[in-house]
Amino acid sequence: MNTQWAVPPPPGTQGQAYGYQSKSQRHLTFKQPTTSGTAPDMSTDPPAYHPVQVRQSFSQPALHYPPTVQQPPQPTEPAAEEAGEKKKIDWPVPVRNYVQRSFEPGRMDPDVPRAEMEAKLKETISTATEKNVLYTLDWDKLPLPQEMIRHDRRKAAGVAQEAWRQQSAAGKDTPISKKRKSQELVGDNEDSLPPWRATNPRNGFEDRVTYPAERFDKRQQPIQDDNIKGTSKFHKNLEKRQRRFDGGYKSSYKSPSPEPVSGPVVGTCQTLEKQYFRLTSAPIPSQVRPESILRQTLDLLKKKWKKEGNYSYICDQFKSMRQDLTVQRIKNAFTVTVYEIHARIALEKGDLGEYNQCQTQLRALYAQNLGGNPVEFKAYRILYFIHTSNRTALNDVLADLTTAEKQEKAIKHALSVRSALALGNYHRFFRLYLETPNMGAYLMDMFVVRERLAAMSNICRAFKPDVPLRFVTEELGFESDSDAAQFVYDYNGQALLEEKEGNMRFLSGKAGQIFEVAKSEAFRKSI
Amino acid sequence: MNPIFEDFREAYETGNGYLLSQTLSPIPPPAQPQRVYNFFRSTNFAAAQKDLKQQILPFKLDPDESKGWIEIYHAYWKAVGELLNAENAHKGNTKAAWSKVYDAWKEVLNALIRGYTNCGFEAWTVPCLYVVGKYLRVFAIKADEGSGNSIGAVTSFQDDFNPEAEKNEKLEDAARQLNRIFQICLADRAEIGESRKWGIYNIINLLFKTYFKLNSISLSKNILKAIQAYRGDMPTLDKFPVGHQVTFKYYIGVIYFLDENYAESEKNLTEAWQLCHKDAVRNKELILTYLIPCHLLTTHTLPTLALLSPYPRLQKLFLPLSRCIKKGDLAGFDAALVAGEEEFVQRRIYLTLERGRDITLRNLLRKVFIAGGFEEAKDAATPAVRRTRIPVAEFGAAISIGSKETMDNDEVECLLANMIYKNLMKGYIARERGIVVLSKGGAFPGTGV
Repeated sequence: MNTQWAVPPPPGTQGQAYGYQSKSQRHLTFKQPTTSGTAPDMSTDPPAYHPVQVRQSFSQPALHYPPTVQQPPQPTEPAAEEAGEKKKIDWPVPVRNYVQRSFEPGRMDPDVPRAEMEAKLKETISTATEKNVLYTLDWDKLPLPQEMIRHDRRKAAGVAQEAWRQQSAAGKDTPISKKRKSQELVGDNEDSLPPWRATNPRNGFEDRVTYPAERFDKRQQPIQDDNIKGTSKFHKNLEKRQRRFDGGYKSSYKSPSPEPVSGPVVGTCQTLEKQYFRLTSAPIPSQVRPESILRQTLDLLKKKWKKEGNYSYICDQFKSMRQDLTVQRIKNAFTVTVYEIHARIALEKGDLGEYNQCQTQLRALYAQNLGGNPVEFKAYRILYFIHTSNRTALNDVLADLTTAEKQEKAIKHALSVRSALALGNYHRFFRLYLETPNMGAYLMDMFVVRERLAAMSNICRAFKPDVPLRFVTEELGFESDSDAAQFVYDYNGQALLEEKEGNMRFLSGKAGQIFEVAKSEAFRKSI
Repeated sequence: MNPIFEDFREAYETGNGYLLSQTLSPIPPPAQPQRVYNFFRSTNFAAAQKDLKQQILPFKLDPDESKGWIEIYHAYWKAVGELLNAENAHKGNTKAAWSKVYDAWKEVLNALIRGYTNCGFEAWTVPCLYVVGKYLRVFAIKADEGSGNSIGAVTSFQDDFNPEAEKNEKLEDAARQLNRIFQICLADRAEIGESRKWGIYNIINLLFKTYFKLNSISLSKNILKAIQAYRGDMPTLDKFPVGHQVTFKYYIGVIYFLDENYAESEKNLTEAWQLCHKDAVRNKELILTYLIPCHLLTTHTLPTLALLSPYPRLQKLFLPLSRCIKKGDLAGFDAALVAGEEEFVQRRIYLTLERGRDITLRNLLRKVFIAGGFEEAKDAATPAVRRTRIPVAEFGAAISIGSKETMDNDEVECLLANMIYKNLMKGYIARERGIVVLSKGGAFPGTGV
């Protein structure tokens, strides 16, 4: 290992930076996302993504069941006994109306036996009770039990067809549709189980929960088309909804309390930039950017960062990107790229909070083998936990590494840094500091001062009566003797520097406790 | 009568909480391997509640208490059904099946907790909490390990994914449920002889175990704070069952160990070691796994062969390192550390054992010092004095033994400076002259020279 270390400078190069990697060398360089080959063509402005079709392939109830005719508010009759519920619960009016509506003679379906309907009804209501949405669910819009049963049957019969239709509708090159498609298929399979085999009634139910966005739509625009039956009307309705998503209602209404959401949102927002807000309710699709847009956003941000270098803007933008990825549950190579770039920028700016958030995500993303630069970031992770003196986490990192990874240059370097510090080998530590790969030096800068103090405490205890200042410069990885002298000055050690026969000497034997005190202080702060 | 209720009756007649708790175990007693299965088959979904009523009412318990037990056994009956289901589940869907077992078992716990809060269950029944709590944890782990899609609600309004929470969804929930048990034990105001407080250390140990598994050991400290706050109303630890004490002290010792507070760690682990049942080999092995590295750092002592002889696993773990430390074999020590790294890391003792290198180095340097012999005596009357001025190069040569490269002088000095700084060696380095001046009275403290 010795051979790897920086060769000490030849005499006569005093004051010159010999091994120190200048900041510009480790300046941030953007890497191409590894998926660039499959990335959608950015030159076409509107993405290859048709929102209406997207809605169609996303199993939401409103599409399979056109909104039922809006009932005029009915006189509240005690209809609860029809639900077959034995407990004396005061059911809310909408629930009672719903039950009543289900059994209206005009709505009964000869193909659906009454017993099956009752079972479905019971399941729906008890699930709603369990999930605590009895009062929040939009019962007026909920499909009637006979419709649900018909839908289940249809699905059971037509999984294959459905899958084919989605595939063709979704287009072939937008990664988001690819993602969603795989989820669709899973969902359909579950739904296709006949009701008596369904393992999780909740799942079937979640599909039918109306989304906050739609509920909001209803409040804003209570006009309902009274006779939607044919497909043209159906499409018209879809278009209407689409317009509403794009429209301007979005910011005025916020759901008072978080609602459970049954699946990932599919974004429809087409603007590139978006300010970050912490989510307080379920995300609204019209405010979420799909992956195709996010890719353009990333390109834009990279350019802006190079040109303007405005960190608070960039950080805010990246946070909103991460949020959009998360709510849409997009986990792929692009996600990795976003987190990696944000992590690098945060590192460069010393924003360890953001850096750590990205790093935590990256760890999970790398575990799924989605590409990216795991070696580079695993090395950072080690350095980061050295900085925070987090022994538990360091132990976990060690447990995570494979034998092959331990041989990778960056990881090997970080591991050597760790063991050098654990053994108090400041000599080796500062050699390693001078040859840190990638952007690791930004992290090492965070703890190099405290380690210098530790090394100084060591030197002052062990070396007597003095050592050349040059020795301090070299052992503690300073760029020059004057930097080393400045360091001594910073801790009020002026008296410890003395010129002897043309050489500057550091009176280590007389330093007493000054570095020891400063060291304890520095470690206390950083922990 | 169903054998479960025969035991129930006997337990109630004799006030035997442990016997009672066994009636709620999902594992049948060895003598009656079909007991759980038969219990499940003894009734059906529609009739279960009525049948259980008929079993329990004749015991003539307090009406509330009867009601509580009927609910508990009803929940237990359902949970056992799910369990039998899960054991036969298809491979691809074990997650869903075990999640259902977990949820059903949680209902057993809920019913049991209601028994204490609403139905006036007495303190002697607390072993039921142990059993139900224990298996809640077991089923949670099973559910999290299972394959298949997670069906839980996915969305909390986070900006990033939370991979840990998704991975340990049920176990984290189990930790919350166990905490509820902890609370109902802690907050019991009954007179101490009749108090559920006697169950508290068992539950704490379950919680610690869960926190360790979740890798959120820091949560243990909240528990410690809580019992610290109640210490006035609580019997001292030594009044509790020895088994509870041993486990508790073991976990406290390990928590201190991970905090690098080796003195406290040693104290607790030693107490656990002394109280531990002589035949509990596995537990003694666990205690020693942490006690040995502790001793290495606090007193610089190594385990004897006699101590390790009953534990082949510990021998494998510690003997190679011990030999190298004793001999002062740096290269051997490094190799042994690498060889055992995986296991050390897994046991969380790697970072501690690594520091044994200092002792190895100290032993090596001490050998150099002794090999240096004595100063030439000025006259025969004065006792011989060891040579205390030793060239750095001599130490350097010793350090380089066994490694292919020669360590440069600056690094050798760095290691020597460390020894001096850590008080493993007394003296100073005179750099200009290239020598180390060692103390005449005890150059290597605690080693006799």
